[in-house]
Amino acid sequence: MSDLDRQIEQLKKCEPLKESEVKALCLKAMEILVEESNVQRVDAPVTICGDIHGQFYDMKELFKVGGDCPKTNYLFLGDFVDRGFYSVETFLLLLALKVRYPDRITLIRGNHESRQITQVYGFYDECLRKYGSVNVWRYCTDIFDYLSLSALIENKIFSVHGGLSPAITTLDQIRTIDRKQEVPHDGGMCDLLWSDPEDIVDGWGLSPRGAGFLFGGSVVTSFNHANNIDYICRAHQLVMEGYKWMFNNQIVTVWSAPNYCYRCGNVAAILELDENLNKQFRVFDAAPQESRGAPAKKPAPDYFL
Amino acid sequence: MEVEVDEKELKAAGAEPLTDGRHGLRIHGWEIESRKRSILSSSNTELWEQKLQTCHMPEMVFGDSGLFLNHVKSGATIHFNAFDALVGWKKEALPPVEVPAAAQWKFRTKPSQQVILDYDYTFTTPYSGSETIKFDADKLERGEISKETGNLHWEDCKEKIDVVALASKEPILFYDEVVLYEDELADSGVSLLTVKVRVMPSSWFLLLRFWLRVDGALMRLRDTRMHCSFSDDANPIILRESCWREATFQALAAVGCLRNSSRFNHLDSSLVDGVFIIQSFPVGIPMSDSGFGYPYVEGLVKKITSKTLFKTKRHRSVVVQAF
Repeated sequence: MSDLDRQIEQLKKCEPLKESEVKALCLKAMEILVEESNVQRVDAPVTICGDIHGQFYDMKELFKVGGDCPKTNYLFLGDFVDRGFYSVETFLLLLALKVRYPDRITLIRGNHESRQITQVYGFYDECLRKYGSVNVWRYCTDIFDYLSLSALIENKIFSVHGGLSPAITTLDQIRTIDRKQEVPHDGGMCDLLWSDPEDIVDGWGLSPRGAGFLFGGSVVTSFNHANNIDYICRAHQLVMEGYKWMFNNQIVTVWSAPNYCYRCGNVAAILELDENLNKQFRVFDAAPQESRGAPAKKPAPDYFL
Repeated sequence: MEVEVDEKELKAAGAEPLTDGRHGLRIHGWEIESRKRSILSSSNTELWEQKLQTCHMPEMVFGDSGLFLNHVKSGATIHFNAFDALVGWKKEALPPVEVPAAAQWKFRTKPSQQVILDYDYTFTTPYSGSETIKFDADKLERGEISKETGNLHWEDCKEKIDVVALASKEPILFYDEVVLYEDELADSGVSLLTVKVRVMPSSWFLLLRFWLRVDGALMRLRDTRMHCSFSDDANPIILRESCWREATFQALAAVGCLRNSSRFNHLDSSLVDGVFIIQSFPVGIPMSDSGFGYPYVEGLVKKITSKTLFKTKRHRSVVVQAF
């Protein structure tokens, strides 16, 4: 058994790797990812997965439902880390699978694969807690910069974490982005990872936060037409039912973190595409409490004032 | 809260757990129940949007969750739920808070080509709880109560919630925390409305808390506490105290509450840290020109009573609003 196979087995048990192993794994992953396009070509059949957010045991449920990699081909739409308890193990397992089976699994970048966001939403703290230093966080966030920005399945299905950008009308415009950097605060690359479809606007909308685009049905129609694609598959937003179509089936949101943050009670979904691009959503629940070895679900009574 | 409460302790306090799978207990004429359910389904979310006449809802609405404190004899119930809180949000309709990146974005957006949404995406609410009274039809008929006198009413009073007594480590017979709604503000912070309750042998105490952190921009805390001592079961008196605080990151940094405002993330990434920071903010001086649309408000310590059951008194205490 190779070191890598042993590491994969270890990570499947939710046991983190040693710091030196993480460093070596990230170096190997970098060599593979650097070759990938900003619009990475993906062949069918493939199973598309949305946000995971460090919910390791729920990702194991996902693999139970979808089948093991490399038997099943996977495309993950980002947001591997933050919020859940096991961002380290979750991301490292996906990364190890990527290094072991580069053609069988595609990882693209979500808005949480960023230095700034992971410092706020948990991954940084988790690395510090589990390793006693931030080195692992550094190795991982350096790798984030190499993750592709989007994927194109059989030239027909465009996949991205967030959504569209007013600065981008063609896939070629995405291909020209220099992605090897921290996610910027604005511009096309930022929008791909951050924007959301919105029913109440038809064209472009600006979030009330003053930053962040919302796009309506006509934007999606034009984009799909201009790029000759059937529909867009994205993640980024929690959906109680695991997936949600919008704008006459021109865009679908896939959400793969069941019982999000361990309290929402939502189901999760993955989208299976066969070799003819026929769709099947597979909906699944969170891992049973007893199998996850998670910190106690409920806090002890507290003498709050 | 699946706490192993000693049955003997419950018995000694004259309490008994609720039955039929309900979570809570009966004590001194009160029935206290918490419900924790999943977030609303997409179809129910749409239904709520229609009822609230809005297109916007928090990402996670725990619409079937709640806390209920029912005074059995009077039929009066104090309860906490997401719907009423969102009615309050809709009514208050604060202007949106801009995130730091907004300054940069002004250069790239073209208002003529874009719809700028301007609802209060922070879901800030003045909500301080809901009240309902179930009229006993028989009593109403016999003239023992009337609809007019059956309402709860809150009056300002001088007493304050006795925090010293509440700090004593009396056994907690029942404890729970219920999230009513939550939104991650698209990873720009957090908006969270929760209610916590603890029931001791001598009283119940609860804290309804709206907590908002818009990263790099603003923190806002709106607390409502209620305390009811079991000393007079026939005429229980509930003290209610509300306190609103808010401060911009700029203001917090200016008085040294943020050690380094550019590294805001670690200081306030959790609710506990954030609340600690904002509570350490010097109080009493409204820093105006905030543009957030708040008048300087005095917080109130109030008492609740219904005439047939509760007595009324007034009290006022100063509250703090800092911008």
